[in-house]
Amino acid sequence: MSDMLLQIKNLYAGTSDNKKEIIKGLNLNIRAGEIHAIMGPNGAGKSTLSYVLAGKHDYEVTSGEIVFKEKNLLQLAPNERAAEGLFLCMQYPVAIPGVTTNVFLKHSINAQRKYKGLSELDAAEFLKLIRSKANEFDISPDMLKREMNVGFSGGEKKRLEILQLSLLQPNLAILDEADSGLDIDALRMVAEGVNKWHNQNNSLLIITHHLDLLNYIKPDFVHIYADGHIVKSGSKELAVDLEAKGYKSYLEE
Amino acid sequence: MGLLQNINLWGDDIPYLSGLREKSRISFEKNGLPNMKNEAWRFSYIREENLQNPIIDVEPVECDGHCHKSKSLPFDAIKIEYCNGKLHTENQNLPKGIMIKSLVEAIYDGDVKPYLNKSFAGDDFPFAALNGVYLEQGAFILIEKETILSTPVYIKYYNHADKNRLCNIRNLVVMEHGAKATIIEHFCGEEKAVYTQNTVNEIYVGNNAELRHYIWQNEAKSAHHIALNSIQIKADGRYFAFCANGGCMFSRHESYIRLLQEGASAEVNGLYKLTTENQVCDITTNIRHLAAHTYSNQLVKGVAKVKAKGVFQGQIHIAPNAQQSEGHQLHRALLLHNEAEINCKPELEVFADDVKCSHGASSGDLDKEQIFYMQSRGISKEDACSILVDAYLNEVFSLNKDSNISEWIKADF
Ligand SMILES: Nc1ncnc2c1ncn2[C@@H]1O[C@H](COP(=O)(O)OP(=O)(O)OP(=O)(O)O)[C@@H](O)[C@H]1O
Ligand SMILES: [Mg+2]
Repeated sequence: MSDMLLQIKNLYAGTSDNKKEIIKGLNLNIRAGEIHAIMGPNGAGKSTLSYVLAGKHDYEVTSGEIVFKEKNLLQLAPNERAAEGLFLCMQYPVAIPGVTTNVFLKHSINAQRKYKGLSELDAAEFLKLIRSKANEFDISPDMLKREMNVGFSGGEKKRLEILQLSLLQPNLAILDEADSGLDIDALRMVAEGVNKWHNQNNSLLIITHHLDLLNYIKPDFVHIYADGHIVKSGSKELAVDLEAKGYKSYLEE
Repeated sequence: MGLLQNINLWGDDIPYLSGLREKSRISFEKNGLPNMKNEAWRFSYIREENLQNPIIDVEPVECDGHCHKSKSLPFDAIKIEYCNGKLHTENQNLPKGIMIKSLVEAIYDGDVKPYLNKSFAGDDFPFAALNGVYLEQGAFILIEKETILSTPVYIKYYNHADKNRLCNIRNLVVMEHGAKATIIEHFCGEEKAVYTQNTVNEIYVGNNAELRHYIWQNEAKSAHHIALNSIQIKADGRYFAFCANGGCMFSRHESYIRLLQEGASAEVNGLYKLTTENQVCDITTNIRHLAAHTYSNQLVKGVAKVKAKGVFQGQIHIAPNAQQSEGHQLHRALLLHNEAEINCKPELEVFADDVKCSHGASSGDLDKEQIFYMQSRGISKEDACSILVDAYLNEVFSLNKDSNISEWIKADF
């Protein structure tokens, strides 16, 4: 099989302030090109895992290792992780008042280009790129002129997250409930955007509660995640089975 | 020597002028310099030792003229320049409807009696009283009725002497009815210059006249800056002010505004940035609604990056007869240093019952969730912070109606 992209080895992590342990002995390997789905009950620690991977300061790794593209991920600042190719599509995207979406996106792409030693895009180059992307995700030019995520509907925010995925072209994308709050058409649009970006070099970690998204984006592996670690892994059939039976039978095993 | 020095000023033989100076002297002698016991100065006062024995010149200051070779402005302007506290008059073709004279000339011609020293009481403003003791340097700007001035008036104050100089400047601005104009004040100085800039502007906005007033305070690092803008606004007159305070050790920018007649309005916005250790920056406003249907609005924002002090004191007074008036005020401070100190004192005195008033104040740090979100898109923490600070300040810049002037200030703020 293809190369290893992400390796999580026996990870323990919790909150930085009160040291509440949330992730307890997690192991996960993701190779280039693979699609993994994580499903698990509310409060199991799925978003926490995504934040730990992205480097959020609220969480602290107490033991274990994370290797991303053969680098020790835990030594990199969040922006370095992003520029190395890790993208987190957040469950709750954050509003940035005073910064228009256009300006925000230009800062992001140019910061990543700079990190990689590429020249920054000028206004015209950026505009050309962003126009085609906005079109693809049905985001109007007016929306790009509005302040980033300020007053956007839940669905608009998610579409904008996927637009960023498409714009920044990472190697690993973590989608934390990218499907929540989307109507049927938006769900298809988001899934198509993800599929268009995905190829044999790029991998995906999907956190979801619903089978719908997995019907559009077909996972190679499904993991059931509870109480801070993976309790069972399998193929897509596992998700179908889970939907029929609920978590109970798996957690009692 | 002290602050009250006996120096020969122009026009001491003119009883009217020497009378004004004497009145100011009596007031200053009585009240002295304000200290922390004065309610209006309790958060920010200049220590007496910082003002000891200043140089108050009579003779024009020698100047090699380098201060005039400033960076060119990105817009056309009618220029008035002060160098080390002295007015430099330059012949320039003025558009129709505007008259500019030196204060001395205007006093001599008898233009100023209804305006000069008429808009405030020296006992209430000790530094303005001190300014009055040395009444001489200044400009008289008259915008004639119905004149729409498309070119702004740019007043530059520049100090380059390494001496402890006290510069007292008095400008009079008279906007006749229906006149419209923009005035920019730019305070700056050579990096090492030490001085106290003590400016008083008396501004009269006539019926249905409109003044836009931009103030860019970027004084030298060790300078002191005190400015009083005393403004009277008549029926349907509009005053808009934006002050950006970025420079000097100690600054106090005070606006004393009276909405005299129905329909008068004032919008006073400001920014301050504390970047030098122990810097003090004070924005004080007193807006008095004295007639029905008057309107005022204020948005003041500050950023403290070091151990320093920011002050906002905002008084809104609504007189009993000022029904159906509106007065709003908001102050926000961004504290980026744990020893920075912000003092905010809003005061609402409302004596009419049918009015809309609001005030608010907040202070805090940058939002960590926002910083992380930006970092997660590849933007470094440092860049994220500076983008967020700019966005925060931009809210005030965006209220400016003259975008070229606003951008010019923003570029250096
Ligand atoms: N910063 C924090 N401080 C305190 N507790 C936290 C913090 N972050 C997460 N938790 C707690 O850790 C647990 C896991 O939270 P997390 O958001 O990771 O769950 P989740 O699996 O994503 O849930 P959901 O499916 O509802 O999104 C929850 O009990 C949550 O309250
Ligand atoms: Mg979650």
